[in-house]
Formats: sequence, C-alpha cells, structure tokens
Amino acid sequence: MADDKDVLRDVWFGRIPTCFTLYQDEVTEREAEPFYLLLPRVSYLTLVTDKVKKHFLKVMKAEDVEEIWFEYEGTPLKWHYPIGLLFDLHASNTSLPWSITVHFKNFPERDLLHCPCNSVIEAHFMSSIKEADALKHKSQVINDMQKKDHKQLWMGLQNDKFDQFWAINRKLMEYPTEEGGFRYIPFRIYLTMSDRPFIQKLFRPISPDGHTHTLGDLLKEVYPVAIASDDEAKRYQVVIHGIEPLLETPLQWLSEHLSHPDNFLHISVIPAPSD
Amino acid sequence: MAERRLECSWKRHVVEQLKQRDRVQRHAFEEIIHQYNRLLEKSDLQTVLSERYQSDKYDLQNRHDSSPGLDLSRNDSLQQEMAQMRIRHQEELTELHKKRGELAQSVIELNHQIQQKDKEIQSNEAKMEEYQRQIAELEGECRELRGKLQDLEQANQTLKDEYDALQITFGALEEKLRRTTDDNQELVSRWMAEKSQEANKLNAENEKDCKRRQAKLQKELAEAAKEPLPLDPDDDIEVLAEDSGKGTGETSPNRPLSRTPRRRPGNSYGSSPECTETPSGVCADVRVPATALHVFEAHDGEVNAVRFSPGSRLLATGGMDRRVKLWEVVSGRCEPKGALTGSNAGITSIEFDSAGSYLLAASNDFASRIWTVDDFRLRHTLTGHSGKVLAARFLLDNARIVSGSYDRTLKLWDLRMKTVFAGSSCNDIVCTEQCVMSGHFDKRVRFWDIRAESIVRELELMGRVTSLDLNHDRTELLTCSRDDLVKIIDLRSNAVRQTFSAQGFKCGADWTRVTFSPDGSYVAGGSADGALYIWNVLTGKLERTLDKNHSSAINSVSWSPSGAYVVSVEKGCKAVLWSDM
Repeated sequence: MADDKDVLRDVWFGRIPTCFTLYQDEVTEREAEPFYLLLPRVSYLTLVTDKVKKHFLKVMKAEDVEEIWFEYEGTPLKWHYPIGLLFDLHASNTSLPWSITVHFKNFPERDLLHCPCNSVIEAHFMSSIKEADALKHKSQVINDMQKKDHKQLWMGLQNDKFDQFWAINRKLMEYPTEEGGFRYIPFRIYLTMSDRPFIQKLFRPISPDGHTHTLGDLLKEVYPVAIASDDEAKRYQVVIHGIEPLLETPLQWLSEHLSHPDNFLHISVIPAPSD
Repeated sequence: MAERRLECSWKRHVVEQLKQRDRVQRHAFEEIIHQYNRLLEKSDLQTVLSERYQSDKYDLQNRHDSSPGLDLSRNDSLQQEMAQMRIRHQEELTELHKKRGELAQSVIELNHQIQQKDKEIQSNEAKMEEYQRQIAELEGECRELRGKLQDLEQANQTLKDEYDALQITFGALEEKLRRTTDDNQELVSRWMAEKSQEANKLNAENEKDCKRRQAKLQKELAEAAKEPLPLDPDDDIEVLAEDSGKGTGETSPNRPLSRTPRRRPGNSYGSSPECTETPSGVCADVRVPATALHVFEAHDGEVNAVRFSPGSRLLATGGMDRRVKLWEVVSGRCEPKGALTGSNAGITSIEFDSAGSYLLAASNDFASRIWTVDDFRLRHTLTGHSGKVLAARFLLDNARIVSGSYDRTLKLWDLRMKTVFAGSSCNDIVCTEQCVMSGHFDKRVRFWDIRAESIVRELELMGRVTSLDLNHDRTELLTCSRDDLVKIIDLRSNAVRQTFSAQGFKCGADWTRVTFSPDGSYVAGGSADGALYIWNVLTGKLERTLDKNHSSAINSVSWSPSGAYVVSVEKGCKAVLWSDM
C-alpha cells in the first residue's frame, strides 16, 4: 500500500525539463534568451506558462503580441492534452530538454483551440472528470459531490497541491467491493500515425467470469497491433506517464493509480526506437 | 502465491520505472534550470537599473547637446553632473536617516506609553483583587450574620412556645385557686353556722343551768323564809324605799352613798349576799401618770380591751386569746384574779356594769357575752350579729345592752334583740340616758334616740372613728379617728371643741380606744408606736408621753375611776399599769 501512495506521488510530481525558445521570426526589440522550465506532466500548457509569456513579452512590443501558442518541431501542441502526454507522444525518446518554440502570431485556427483565460482550462478539466466518472460510476459519485469539491479538484491541480486534490479524488477512485472494479475503465489510446486522435472504447476491468483484465487484454481487445507477437521484434512502445508498464499489469490498478488528474488513463503508443 | 509474486513484479516494475524516469527527466535538470532562472532574473534587474541610469544619462546628454562646448568642458560638466547627482543622492540619504531617527523616537515614546498603560492595568488589577477579597470577606460575614439571625429566631420561637405553655398553666392554676377559694368560703360559712349552733346550744344550757339554780335558790329561800332571820329594819326599809322610789335603780354619782346593793337584772328578790363595791363616784384627785409601775404579759395574743371596774380595784383585759382576764390592782401591781372564758374569738371590748358585778365583753365571734364578776360564770351570750361585735355597752339601767358590730348594725338587747341598721361598721358606742352615740367606719358619729330607735343626729369627722368616750357629766364626747386626731365634741352645741394631736401619735387600728380621765381634764390615748399620749383638756396641749414600756401598738387605754392608775394594753400581749409614782 505504501507503494501505491508512492506511485500516486511520483505520478503527480513528474516533471519534464523544457526549453522555450521564441520563434525567430517574431519581432523583438532585442534578442530573447531561451527560457528553461520544469513543466508538470499532469498539468496543461497554458496553465503553467505564465512566466514564459512574461519573459518573452519583455522583449516584444505590445502591438506585436497576440495569443501565445506552442509548437514542437512544426507540430502545434494542443494545450488541452496533458503535458506529459504531449511529451510522451512527440518527444519521448529525444534528448532532453524538450525544446518548445513559442509563437505569438499566426495562431493555427485549424489545429488548436483558443485559450483566452484559465476558466476555459477549468471547464475542459471538469468535463473530462465528469466523463470519466460517467464511465466508472454512471456519474453517481461526481454528481453527489458539492460544488466546492469540484472547485477543490481544480484548485488542487492549478496550485499543484497533491493532498488537496487527492482528498476529493480518492472518492472517485472507490468502487463497490462486490463489483471488483469500476463499471468501465476510462482510457484513451493515442497514436502517432493515425487519422483519428485517439481510441476510446467501453472496456470492463473484470471479465464476466471474474477474471481481472490486464493492460495486455485491453490492447489485444482494442489495438492488437501494439502488442508484438512472440517472434517479432517489438515495434511499438506502450507509454503511460513516461514509463512502459508490464502488459500483465491489472487494468483496474492502472486506472486507479496511473490516471491523470482528469481520471483518464492516457496511453501513448509510439514506435519503438531503433538504435 | 503466484499471483502475489506476479502482482509484486509488475508493481515493482512500475515503481522502478517511475523512479528512473524522474532521475533522468527531472533530477538532472532541476538544479540547472533553477540557477538559470536566477541568473535570468539578475540580468533583468541589471538591465532595468542600467536602463534607468542610461535614461538619466541620455537626458543629461540631451540637455548638454543644446549648448555647444568643448569635449573637456563636456567631460567636466558630465563630472559636475555626476557630482550633483551624488550630492542629491546623499541628501536623499540624510533625509532618510532623519526620518528613521524620528520614527525611532516615536517608537520610544509609544513604548513608554505602553509601559504606563501596563502599570495602570496592573494597579487596576490589584485594586480589583482587593475588592474581590473584600467582597469575599463581606459575604462571609453576611453568611455568619444570617446564621446567627436564624439561631436567634429559633431561640425566640422556643421562648414564645414556653411562654404560651406557661400562660396555659397559669390559667389553669388561677382557675384552681378560684375554685379553692370558693370551697374555702363555703367551708368557713358552714363552720360559722356550726359555731353559732354551738353557741345557741351553750346559751340554752346556760339558761337551763340558770333556771336550775333559780329553782334551787327558790327552794333555799323558801326554807330560809321559814326560819326567823335577824333583820335590821332600818337599812332594809331605807334601801327598799329608795329603790322602789327609783324604780330602775340608776346610780346617781353625785349623791354619796354608803351602801347600795347591786341589783341583778330581771331578779325581783331582795338583796342577796354578794360582795358590793362602794363606787367612789367622781374622783377629785386625778393624777397624770409619770412612771410605769408594772409591766406584765396580760394575754397570749394581742390585748384589745381594758377596763377598770367602777370600784377602781378590778381591772379587766380582753385579748385575742378569747379570754377576759381579771386583775386586781394591789400595791402598784396587777395581780391576776381570774379569767372569763366562753368566747370563741378575740375580745374587742369590755364593760363593767355600773355596779361592777357584771362584765360585758364583745367578741369577734359575732357575739357579746355577760359574766358575773364574782364567780366568773358566763351568764348571757348575745348572738345575732353577722359580723364581729366591736363594742357592747350597758345602757344606764344595766338592763339593756347595745352592741355595735362590723355588720353595720347596732343591736339593742333587752332579752330580746333590736337591730338597728347603722349603715356602716360600728367601731365604738357610748350611751347616755336617752341617747346612744356610735362611731363608725364611715367617719360618722351617729346619735341614736333609744326610744325612737332612730338616728337623731350625725356628725362627720375626718377619719374612721375608732373610739368614743363620754366625760362623766355627759356633756362632751371624746372621739378618736384614723386621721390621728383626737377630738372633743360639745354635745350641746354639736361642734368640735378641741382637737388633740401629737407628732408621733398615730392611730394603730380601727378599734384604738382613747379615754377621758375620770374628771374629764385629761385625755389618754395609745399610739401605734407603743407610746401613751396624755393631753390636757384645759390647755389642749400634750401633757405627757409614756413610750418606754410598750413594744407594739397600744390598742386600748383605761383610766381608773379613782384617777390613780392608767392601764394600757397593746398588740403584743402586754399590758402596762401606769401611775404617777
């Protein structure tokens, strides 16, 4: 059990070293130094990059500043994905720090959502939680909570307060003992080469005959390509929170401990690095 | 078991993987990024500062650009500008120092004020503690007092209860006393009734006795008449003639008589061998006594009455011991001759009849009695009063007796009683041939006509009349009253002629008797302090006071008809014979 608590803490306090560089075509008064920052894996880009914005605004004139947006190696980074997911998906096996380019102009309307203020991030975050609870408990737990509990969840995330967040979140991780687990596991499988953004299906943690499902069972069911057969070399990595859990890890356990704060299990399937 | 191991393996794997990830991704870069950010901040600050200085410099440069000058001068002016800036900055610094000093000063003052306030607070707290202590003390006292009050109330209640109980007991006892007193009175009245019955019986016996003796005497006389007797015809005839002429046999004091036999009342038989006394009549030599000849115990109790017999030889005293004692005055002493008994209570007054052969005594047992002096025999008992008989006197014919009593009546006895209601308790009586004078409790002297049996006159005095006496020619009445005054009343004019009083003379009782001397020139009376006072009638002044021999109040005084002796009797059983020798 102490391990489980450690796992939760390690998941929450995970950081990614990032170097923010201003796009060279941005008009500056003088040269802007790059800005280094340890980004929290579980948060969202626009929530934690105020300092970045301030730093770069020092060297820019006010009339040249529009909405800030980020990109990595040409790919605009969706701010509504958790940072950890973005890194695992795009730059998992590259050298650290993660270099992100900061743009202030030419917002890509087609790829990114606008994020004018923090309440937008809050709305998105809370809707993810509700969706997850709908899958887990038919929305009973989240609906029984008071508004202040919802607020506490958001404030915990925003201010990086582990205890404050998990005081409420643990209720969302409970399940009736006779069930053996949640009703359905909230998960999303993200692929690098795909049209659709992610795979999300209904999947029970316990089989009808009482058998606990594992990560392997999920992948076999939903995206069997990810699992290499015995004779082939591994072609894909299944990354959650920057690590590759063993395929026999129980799905219920994964959902309880390795979910993001929005209660979803964000799984990245990336091509295995070829040395 | 296998599951456990399996569980551990994937969990362990996850844990290890997370740790490694952190190592690689976080720990390696954490410090560097932190220091980089600090440097960034510092450089930003430097730029800000340098920009501020540069802007100043630019301003100065701009100003100086307008006025042309050499480079040197520009340098100098630049240096001057720098110096000025330095001075300005130093002024700012001094100002700031001053301000800091002022603030420090105000801090000190505020500290001082705080200390004062603390002291005030402490003193107030001390006072409050003091007051609290006082309050506690007073509360203690209050409780004590309340406790005491409760105790006192309880005690009071107990006393009240006791008092009520005692009241009830007292009421009951009073009731008992009343009943007992009633019973007592009833018993006393019954006893008196029995006594009077006894007295009647005694009377009847006496009469029977008398009749027997008469019968015997008759027999003897009859026998004697048969014998020849030696007679002295002269005397007999003389006497008889006188007597028959007189009728009632009144003694005329002015005529010298040689022998006058006494007549017994109601007896028609001639003279009988009895001792006769020669009344000396008016005695001319009255002598005021000066010394006490004989002091003797006369009775066992109070001596109430004293009387010389008409012959001046015998003396009768009556006392509370129910006896009348007879004494003979022999050579300056009183020798006891005998005692007359028969009274059931104390003797109040004594009188001899004019012949001296009968003695009449009034008594407290509501009766008067007559004895013959010679043989001390009780002859008559006159009962009928319903109160103490205080005085009884023979009327001048010796045939009738008048008695005055406490029951406010006078009774006239003539072998049959006459009761006259006087209206007040009668203390003393004197008689003349027509008139009876009685002195009463109500301060009056009443004059009664015998034949009419009614009041002729009344005389009022200042005090209860205790004694009456007539002088020998019946012209003056001597009265003694409780206001300690002895008065002589002239009977003809009916006015007080003289009043005698003395410093120590106090009337001792309601029956204190005073007396004239036989010639009427002196008045003697006994006082409550045991002194015998003798006044001179002619001068009206106190002649002599004899106070040595009596130890208690003198009840009665009698002057011998010879004038030589005076006897006084007192409450304390004593009688004193006085004379002037």
